[in-house]
Amino acid sequence: MSGQNRSAVENCSRNTFLLTNNKIIITLFKIVLDNMSDADLAAAFAIFAAKQRGSDEVTPDHILLGCLRAISRFGIVTLGPWSLDLEALGVDWIQQPDGPRPKVAYSREAVDLFDRATMIAKSIAKSAGETSVSVNHLLAAFAVEKDGLMGELKRTHGITSASWRAAVARLGVDETSGAESGAKPEYLTPEEAAGTLGIHVQTMRAYIRSGRLPAFRLAGERSIRLLRTDLEKVLEPLTSEKTGEKREE
Amino acid sequence: MSFFVVKRDLPGVTPEVLQSAGIRAKSCCAEMTGEGQPVRWIRSFYLPETPQTHCYFEAASKAAVEEANQRARIPFTQIAEVVEMTPEMV
Repeated sequence: MSGQNRSAVENCSRNTFLLTNNKIIITLFKIVLDNMSDADLAAAFAIFAAKQRGSDEVTPDHILLGCLRAISRFGIVTLGPWSLDLEALGVDWIQQPDGPRPKVAYSREAVDLFDRATMIAKSIAKSAGETSVSVNHLLAAFAVEKDGLMGELKRTHGITSASWRAAVARLGVDETSGAESGAKPEYLTPEEAAGTLGIHVQTMRAYIRSGRLPAFRLAGERSIRLLRTDLEKVLEPLTSEKTGEKREE
Repeated sequence: MSFFVVKRDLPGVTPEVLQSAGIRAKSCCAEMTGEGQPVRWIRSFYLPETPQTHCYFEAASKAAVEEANQRARIPFTQIAEVVEMTPEMV
């Protein structure tokens, strides 16, 4: 768990600590914090989100907000081509709950979502060796959601199931291959992509128009971005029969 | 603080469903502990030859364990206090 997010969780219960003044409770809670995975953190934030809204149930909307908050930095979620402002989603990412709040329980729909996330984790485990559920699995479980907050995000940001899963799949990967490691940017403009492949930008735009190359539009803008890793999709191996049939651009 | 066993009958339950329940149990225990009502899920035993699962919790009261399981929406059939005994103790 990051220091910033751990601090947020600790602040949430600071008032309770002061009220109880019970060292055993403090010690127990710190043990819980130390053993928290990012999925646990998302679940904790989901409970906070439900409490902040005065709800007595943790719904899938709260879990989505919890997941987004768990991967946010300074209240901004950068997920694939989208930048989501937690404040715009009604999340007060600085202020913590204060005063009496209702006790909350998971809703039936929330239970279904966790079950789906663990199924996703299991299917990935077969190929990637992962065994525990992470916030990525929880986020991936939202890909098929059409209603609630996820449905709203899909409509307002043009998110599809595939583009959401692609963005979630890149979570963490981008961090380890980012600017600090000297790696090249993962998202390219059509001009940069054309330059990478050494082709004219109009050819690149034709690939995009024809659907041969997946592309993403920045939320609410006309700008297009391409995943560097997708560029390989237009590369065909040159066999002896094909030699001479294709001309270089 | 005392130890409690939570007995569940979960016919056809899969490891994934148990894993899902575990995440919910952990978050609810953490939340209740933060509220000043300490509850800790220690471990669970799944009995594959039966539909039963036994989950062990540490808490100040049976009511706290019951509330944690209700908040996590994990069904149970019985909650009972247990006394720990290990080979080192005898």
